[in-house]
Amino acid sequence: MSSNRKLPRLLQTPSVVLLLIWMIVPLSMTLFFSFIRYNLSNTRRPEWTTPSLDNWRGLGNYNYVLDNNNFWLAVQNSLFIVGSILVLTVVLGIILAILVNRTFPGRGIVRVLLISPFFIMPAVNAVLWINMILDPVLGLNGIAVDGINNFIRGLHDFPVLGSFFALWPEFTPISFRSTQNSAYAVILMVAWQWTPFAILIFMTSLQSEDESQKEAAILDGAGAWSRFTNLTLPHLARPIAIVVMIQTIFHLSLYAEIEIVSRGNGNKNLPYLIGEFATNNIGAASATGIFAVILANIVAIFLLSMIGKTLMD
Amino acid sequence: MATVNQQSNFGKVAWPILAWTIALIFFFPIFWMVFTSFKTDADAVKPQYLFKFTPTLDNYANMTENYDYWRFAINSIITSVFATLFALAVGIPAAYAMAFNPGRHTKDVLMWMLSTKMLPAAAVLYPMTFLTKNFLQIYDTHFLVILVLCLINLPIVIWMLFTYFKEIPKEIIEAGKMDGVTTWGEIKDILIPLAWGGVASTALLTFIFCWNEAYWTVRLTTTEAATLSKLIEGNRAPEGLFFGRLSAVSTASVGPIVILGWFCQKQLVRGLTFGAVK
Repeated sequence: MSSNRKLPRLLQTPSVVLLLIWMIVPLSMTLFFSFIRYNLSNTRRPEWTTPSLDNWRGLGNYNYVLDNNNFWLAVQNSLFIVGSILVLTVVLGIILAILVNRTFPGRGIVRVLLISPFFIMPAVNAVLWINMILDPVLGLNGIAVDGINNFIRGLHDFPVLGSFFALWPEFTPISFRSTQNSAYAVILMVAWQWTPFAILIFMTSLQSEDESQKEAAILDGAGAWSRFTNLTLPHLARPIAIVVMIQTIFHLSLYAEIEIVSRGNGNKNLPYLIGEFATNNIGAASATGIFAVILANIVAIFLLSMIGKTLMD
Repeated sequence: MATVNQQSNFGKVAWPILAWTIALIFFFPIFWMVFTSFKTDADAVKPQYLFKFTPTLDNYANMTENYDYWRFAINSIITSVFATLFALAVGIPAAYAMAFNPGRHTKDVLMWMLSTKMLPAAAVLYPMTFLTKNFLQIYDTHFLVILVLCLINLPIVIWMLFTYFKEIPKEIIEAGKMDGVTTWGEIKDILIPLAWGGVASTALLTFIFCWNEAYWTVRLTTTEAATLSKLIEGNRAPEGLFFGRLSAVSTASVGPIVILGWFCQKQLVRGLTFGAVK
């Protein structure tokens, strides 16, 4: 019996060993680099270009990062981007999940259309949105604003009312590649991509909602809104928490979208700042990386404790 | 019940119209990409040809010439297929052991595996570059991309398989043991045929994740093993000159995956919530 049990246990060893190496080796290197002076090129101090204990800097890199305005800006941007995406996807997700939870003609197709954005490659998503849709000249954004301006200009020739329309200002399309607006472009495209994820999860959860409870509420004269806030919303509490936490983990490490939208000229988040530091100052990049790990861990602990509760039943 | 029926009389018309409108708005960017892919580059940026234009297949015909599409596509196929296969090969035995022979620490091991997924990739970017470039010299190889894709998806693979395997009655597996079937035989002849649907949807979902991965595949490759993500990112700034051809190559890159995705909507929930929402 004991040999019968030992072998199956051993079967998980390859996975455990692989993941252990994958997690420990690079992370401990990051930890080490975060305590030393380490540049990729430094003509004045060439000894800093090789990672070595002789270049020990203690907490110097951490202090350097904490004193760096860009770091706090990146933290702010990270949180702003993640927070906005969360609000948008959860609200839209709930509304749309309720919308497709009823039977109506073509419901299957509607569901397929709603879910499709989730499978678009992030790189394609970003290139598509920033060029063909949001570009202020050639994208639909620019074309639409141009159209509106032309329409108003046409009204100038109108008798009497024309002089009134002549007072209207010309609209200028929003430039989403610029520093102030690039975060909005990222939020827009990522929320578009991840709303389907929220819809899918809320839809799955709505299907297990207690119908008899709802019918009882209707008989008691409860309106649609009160049924929503008293029955549906509490039922969705857990799925909402899960959607929030899983998305937080994914979006804290957004990279491709930020890179494609602004090419480094716009709002940077933490992963982007790490990438920038890593072009030369590995010490600072590593210290920033450790901060990113800490930030992700705070979320992860909540998520894991939540999943852990339902794991074994 | 009268109120319910009254409501649904109005709802019968308004509800589907609203749902269809929103769904079409959501799908519009994808439609627009496919639509633009049939325009010439010149037409694609002229407002007068916004909806009326002469469709052309040139953008698709010239994909190899313009972007060397197939080189990247083949890299994507090779790396995603092998990463999925390896992840299954390592993951199936592990999930089998955890589902049918759970120990005191099985839950902790599963949790820990999941936590590796939450490590921000950017934090270990430089060590990974350093290790693979200077030390192991596997930078920009298929082997490296397959290895990394396999590792980042392994926790999800094990989790998904674990939730599927747990639904299989233990007695069936135990019965095999009585008959003297080996562990390997149990997995091959009893478990996999029984959980075939679960294994297939795990494979499908893993393949999609591998295909769409856009951090490591971009940062750990240059030319040799570069995937479609890298190709698209490299052409991120066409400044409007190449909307037509860029749409075509984008459509060709995401098309197969979107269609695959339609088939595994349900499994997606399971895979992404680690079984917490069913």
